[in-house]
Amino acid sequence: MKQPLPPHSVLRFLCWFCREDYLEEIEGNMVELFEQQYEHSPKKAQWQFFWNVLLHFRPAFIRSFKIQHTQNHRAMIRHNFLLTFRNFKRYKSTFLINLIGLSSGLACALLIYLWVHDELSVDKFHEHDAQLYQVMQHRVENSEIVTSTWVPGLTAQTLEDEMPEVENAVASFGLDRYTLSVDDKDIQATGQYAGGNFFKLFSFPLQQGDASQVLANRSAIVISETLAMNLFNTTENVVGKTIEWQHEEQYQITGIFADVPQNSSMQFDFVLSFQIFLEDEGWATRWQTSWPETYVLLKPGADVNLLNKKIADLVKRKTNGEITHRTLFAAPYSKTYLYGNYENGQQAGGRIDYVRLFSVIAVFILLIACINFMNLSTAKASRRLKEVGIKKAVGAGRSSLVFQYFGESTLMAMLSLITAIVLVLLFLPQFNQITGKQLYLYFDASLVLSLLAITLVTGIIAGSYPALYLSAFNPVKVLKGALNKSVGELWARKGLVVLQFTLSIILIVSVFVVYKQIAFAQTKNLGYDKENILYVRRAGWEEDKLETFLAEARKLPGVLRASSMGHDMTGHIAASYGVQWPGKNPDDKTEFEMMPVNYDMLELLGMEIAAGRTFSRAFSTDTAKVIFNEAAIEHMGFTDPIGKVITWGDEAMEIIGVAKDFHFESLHEKIKPIIFWLNPQNTWEIAVKIEAGKEQETINQLQPLFQTFYPGFPFDYQFLDQEYQAQYVAEQRVSTLSRYFAGIAILISCLGLFGLAAFTAERRLKEIGIRKILGASDFGIVRLLSGDFTKMVLVAIVIALPISYFIAQWWLQDFAFHIDLRWWYFAGAGLLALLIAWFTVGLQTVKAARVNPVECLKDE
Amino acid sequence: MKEPSIGEFEELVLLMVAALHDEAYGVSILENLEAKLSKKLNISAIHVALKRMEDKGLVNSRFGGITQDRGGRRKKFYAITALGKRVLDQQYALRTSIYQQIPKISFG
Repeated sequence: MKQPLPPHSVLRFLCWFCREDYLEEIEGNMVELFEQQYEHSPKKAQWQFFWNVLLHFRPAFIRSFKIQHTQNHRAMIRHNFLLTFRNFKRYKSTFLINLIGLSSGLACALLIYLWVHDELSVDKFHEHDAQLYQVMQHRVENSEIVTSTWVPGLTAQTLEDEMPEVENAVASFGLDRYTLSVDDKDIQATGQYAGGNFFKLFSFPLQQGDASQVLANRSAIVISETLAMNLFNTTENVVGKTIEWQHEEQYQITGIFADVPQNSSMQFDFVLSFQIFLEDEGWATRWQTSWPETYVLLKPGADVNLLNKKIADLVKRKTNGEITHRTLFAAPYSKTYLYGNYENGQQAGGRIDYVRLFSVIAVFILLIACINFMNLSTAKASRRLKEVGIKKAVGAGRSSLVFQYFGESTLMAMLSLITAIVLVLLFLPQFNQITGKQLYLYFDASLVLSLLAITLVTGIIAGSYPALYLSAFNPVKVLKGALNKSVGELWARKGLVVLQFTLSIILIVSVFVVYKQIAFAQTKNLGYDKENILYVRRAGWEEDKLETFLAEARKLPGVLRASSMGHDMTGHIAASYGVQWPGKNPDDKTEFEMMPVNYDMLELLGMEIAAGRTFSRAFSTDTAKVIFNEAAIEHMGFTDPIGKVITWGDEAMEIIGVAKDFHFESLHEKIKPIIFWLNPQNTWEIAVKIEAGKEQETINQLQPLFQTFYPGFPFDYQFLDQEYQAQYVAEQRVSTLSRYFAGIAILISCLGLFGLAAFTAERRLKEIGIRKILGASDFGIVRLLSGDFTKMVLVAIVIALPISYFIAQWWLQDFAFHIDLRWWYFAGAGLLALLIAWFTVGLQTVKAARVNPVECLKDE
Repeated sequence: MKEPSIGEFEELVLLMVAALHDEAYGVSILENLEAKLSKKLNISAIHVALKRMEDKGLVNSRFGGITQDRGGRRKKFYAITALGKRVLDQQYALRTSIYQQIPKISFG
């Protein structure tokens, strides 16, 4: 009769905890009891055995877990380190491929992490961040809702007075560059008007002055530390001194604030009192207009939804029902930076899209690098079967093998991490240049933890195959060489290569599409000529002075035309919905972009006139005439517009011309209706068209002329085409960055492929030798070896192209004017990937195919 | 040297070790005690008592030979030491002397 055996797991538990010197006796007694009882009732015997073991689990019988292992462990760790380093030394190419691939992947991920972290931290530094809201306004225009940050001028005051939830509210306006002067020193600085509680609401720490007092006085100015240094060369005893603003008004310094940190979306050098703005610009107190931006600080615990309900119809109430198409709402201030886009009244992303895009790219690249590492280590692991066999035969436990392989891969990952950190330090300046940020590598708890986590996960994933699979082999079989290769393993490796190439191809296509769209935006015919147009901000209200200056400028050689307008042609400035025409729908609140111009301006910009004429000095009554663009005419529904009369404000104005549509906003936007009217006094931008090739000498002549007319104002000019390009800064950064990242992704994928090809060629060397002896040609062998890889890349192409098509389509949707996707963008990317793969594999296979068969067959 | 103290259950186990003479090991002690006391005991209690008395020097132990039984595990046989015998004697004397002080009258 076969001896009944007590439950194995229970016995193992006993062996694990029981003191060795007691074990045999205790075990023996219990087994004997078990055997006796088994004859009566096997089930009961098992329960009794289990119960007996459990009752032995008490201090008297539990062994000490301390002493036993230490010395052996230390020796094993040293041994494992030694083996690891020998392995690195022996297979240098694998080591290098792993190191380069993994470290560049980690470096990319780290750079992107820094960037994302910085983007996410913007505007989060304010002490009252959680209660800080920005008031915004939805306008129903015709059929769609347009959202803007401009609200009526009295909003801040009203909210503070009438809403119990609001602790403080502040309006700010006019963020722009102005000329500040002390004695003879003129400096251009960025400043804005802001309400009295500005420094209480926002955490821009004051170095001198009291936060609640600095803006109380109407002639107060608060300046930044740097501005103080620039103006006075010191920050001592500066408070109380006087600064001249635009050579018009005197302000007294009441405080100095520390320079605005980089991660503030609001950048300024000085602040003036909002009170003075309201006094100067009486119209701004009318509820019909929307100008300043407004921020509120809610009381702790106040419900913003409740506030939003109350302020929704504020404009309607304040205008006694006159204006019904505007609703106010408050959104968290620190969110407006990342979630700044609104589509038809709904939040629709913003910069967060780029943050997400790059996070995805970082994950992609890291994944590609990990796959390399995994693939190579699984491929190479089969080389180490004998090592596993011998170790096990000598008595190594499975756990020590697992430990060894995990240790090896983690060590590799750690080395890569160190290399990656060095790489990041090296490339951070360039990265900062591209992103336009000032990032630096710092090690805080969250970064260190996430780095360690990424490294450990990479190491563990990469080491998991040899650690868990190989270590389970039966040593006898392994040493005999009778190992049936698992098909699953091969498939897994192929699948990973396919995944790698899929990701790479998606990146290639995306980069290509982004690049094409940017190029399209920059070369697109805008409908006006932006080349060689210089413009400069004029100072002072005197119209005569402007006219004389323009007349003088026109006389300069190299100046083709000179004029002025109220719009800088790059983005929205001011709009009005007050244009009335016969048959206008009363609900139509579409805003017409207002472009006050001087004579000759449309000609200077090279705009085409579709019908009628432009403003001309030949007609003295042109101040009561207007010109529309085609979009406006179409909106108003005129078929024969010339000579029709519209009313704007209280004035009747005659349409004298129609300008062809042109783009003045970024191509994200549709073309809006525009109204041009002749109003030289409101034209703040002096524009000068310069003959091509004579830019510098003309500027040299313009500058002294400008100085004689506007003494004390720096000749701070810009070129229109450069300003135009600046609109696409975000896209250009994305384009440049994604180009680099896609390059790196491809590089890493190819490294992996290179390693795999080399390995395959090496393993099949004997086969190649025999084939050659039997008459195979070099070409045949290259084809044989690269056939597998070609198939993998082709599969990757088939998977990647539809995915990349959808991604590209999605990105382009955001542009009102965009390129059409063409089939060859995708075919090109696929072909490129295939060529790169062939090239990589080819290097190895050609080498393998040209080997002398004698060399590889002579020894066995 | 102070004589080691001994508990009631230990005393029973020690008596059984002495009674079984050369054949005293865990299971035989358990079975004999269970028979005498007519109740179920757990082997862990026997083990605890034996180990404790071995530490106190009341019993000593030796391994038996390997047999087919018990999955090849050796038995550990216990024998009472001189000290153990003395402790038993003292206990016995103590109990007897007190027992004899019981007046006959108590039980009528």
